[in-house]
Formats: sequence, structure tokens, C-alpha cells
Amino acid sequence: MTGPAELRVGIVGLGAVGARVARQLVSDPRVAQVVLREPRRNHLDLVVESLGPKTVIDSGTDNAPLDADVVVIAAHNGEHGALATVAVRAGQSVVSTTDNIDDVRALLSLDAEAREREVSVVVGAGFAPGLTCLLAAQAARSFDAIDEIHVAKVGTGGPACAREHHRALSRSALDWREGAFVRRPGGSGRELCWFPDPVGAVDCYRAALPDALLLVPAFPGVRRVTARVAATRRDRLTMRLPMLWPTHPEGGPGAVRVEVRGQRGEARDVVVLGAMDRAAVASGAVAAVAAQRVAEGAVRRRGAGGLAELFSPGEVLTELRQRGVRVAVFQGDLAGETTAENGALDGADHTA
Amino acid sequence: MRLFRRALYALGVASMVAAVLRLRGTGGSPPQQGGWRELSDTDLA
Repeated sequence: MTGPAELRVGIVGLGAVGARVARQLVSDPRVAQVVLREPRRNHLDLVVESLGPKTVIDSGTDNAPLDADVVVIAAHNGEHGALATVAVRAGQSVVSTTDNIDDVRALLSLDAEAREREVSVVVGAGFAPGLTCLLAAQAARSFDAIDEIHVAKVGTGGPACAREHHRALSRSALDWREGAFVRRPGGSGRELCWFPDPVGAVDCYRAALPDALLLVPAFPGVRRVTARVAATRRDRLTMRLPMLWPTHPEGGPGAVRVEVRGQRGEARDVVVLGAMDRAAVASGAVAAVAAQRVAEGAVRRRGAGGLAELFSPGEVLTELRQRGVRVAVFQGDLAGETTAENGALDGADHTA
Repeated sequence: MRLFRRALYALGVASMVAAVLRLRGTGGSPPQQGGWRELSDTDLA
């Protein structure tokens, strides 16, 4: 366990999410130094100049472990497994922001080694998965037993996230049904999902998302886990082509929604939790809080897993709330009283 | 040749119908009442 202002956190990759993680960590008085690694030297210099003296540029080679207590991996998808392996073998805990199925599988396969070395590998610490895992765990607290979890997301972090979103629509989705993983066609299974205001109702479809891989181990006995992503008609028409237009460098407003069904006493019930934020901003906050908690030893167990498995959801969501990431519950009895009216979720920036 | 043309025509019609259904179909009905309420620290405790 690291004391106040002694913590050194390394960040690999300074895209839209990595830069937000760095900003969150620099503003945290418990963090002494943030060590940054990024192949684009000009971009790295700009981030260091912007964030001030707490940040330092990593001087090691690309394959060497960073000089840090915890490493946040916000690099391109496909690199997370190899980077995490280096860190775990150096005795460092890892927080990965990946939303790629192959990366998640590679990271979860480090579980035995991470347990043996008494380090943590937090997998999918972003908007979705990440915040969605916490929402599922929070919703599950009110049930005696849960049997279904359905996740949906809209919005992307930065350009790399948008490309992954685009690719995911054309690849097979991974659902959990009755005790087995089932592949379903990406872009199928249209469902109108109702997100917190001002996002509202958006059509969502199956896609290659890793949520089931992270949620199933956290909820033994769950019968169905599905994940969907929002897409427009243009997205679906062009999903098998390369991206034909440039993406927003910071991503736009996004939202997540988690529906949990289960048994409470004699009755079956449904709880729907959601959050609205810019995806990169919320991802940065989730990854920063995860890194901080891992460094403090505030994890349920060592090893690799998703946020639902490794953290107490109420504590993490409370800390995220203090950083501006606010969570809402959908209630059927709030007729005519929406969050837009009571100002609950206005999507304000909170990157301090 | 005639059979081939008919098959091609049928395929074309089927593709157009599928495209229309895929792009214009309804996605379900939104909630008729209710709304989002922000969770407080008490809710999260």
C-alpha cells in the first residue's frame, strides 16, 4: 500500500482516453508523479507541458516496464495483452481501458500469474465496459439473485475508440445464454434503448463487445448477458467497409445503460441504471479511480478481472460522483419529471 | 437464359425488400412514462 502523495502511476498511450486519465491523476493529491509513454513525441511534449510538473516522460524502451507502482494501459487495442504481461512480470498492477474482445481474453488469461505475484489486472476500465460493470454490480445489490444483464452504449471516446466501434459492428457478438457463450451476427438484434437525457432513445445492435466476458465471472448463475452498441442506418450500411469519414478527436456525448433482471423475494423485478457523459472523460475518471484503488489495495482480490468483480461498486461510484460522473436510475413512477427538468444529468465537463 | 434472368430478378427484388426492412423497420416502443433520477451518495452507500 502506498501512502499519501507517494504514488507513481504510469500511462501507456495518450489518446483521448489516456490524456484524460493523466489529467485526472495529476489533479489527485494522492498521486506524486505520472509517468507517460507515447510514441508520438510532439503530442507527448504537448501533454506534459499542459499537465505540469507532476508529469514525466518515460525514458525506457517500448518493451521495458515503466518506473511506476501501477500502469494504466490506454494504448491501441491489440497491444494490451503484451504490455500487461510485461508489467505483471515486473510486479506492477495494471489497469487496462480496452474494449476489445481479444485484448480482454489476453488480459483475463493473466489471472493466475497476477494472483501468484499478488498484483491486480483491472480489465476494461472505461465507459463500457468499466462504468457499465460497476452499474451492473450496483444494480445487483438490490436483488436476492440476478439472472439477466443487458448492457447498451452510445458514443465513442476518441478516433481509436470510434474505429473499434465501427469494426465491432461487423464482427460476431458474444452473448452469454443459459450457461454458454453464443456467437450472434454483429449489426443484428435491433433494440430501442432509452438512455439518460439528453441522449434519449437510440437504436442499438449486437456487436463484438467484451462485456459478457467480464460480467459472467462476476455474477455466477447469471443466465443471460448481452451487450449492444448504438448505430445509425449509415453505420449499418457501411459497417463492413473501412471508416469513410474522419472522427471527432475527442468524441461526442455518450451514454450507457445497464438493465438487470432478477429475483427479489417472491417477485421478479428489473432495475435500469444509466449514465450520460463524454465517453473519453468518463473513461478517464474510471481508469484513474481504478488505478488509485489498486494502489491502495482497495480490491476484493488480486488477479485479473473486470470492475464488477474486483471493486465494491458503491464506493467506486461514490468516488466517481465526486469527480463528476453521475449515475441515474430509471423509474417508471416519475411521470412527467425527467432529469432534464430536475437538472440531474446535464453532461457538464468535469475534467479538473 | 430465361430461368437465369428470372432468378436474377427474384434475387434483386428480395435484396431490395430486405434492405427496406433492415433500414426502415421499427425498433420497438419507448417507455410511455417514467424518467431518470440521479443516484445520491445515500443510494450508493
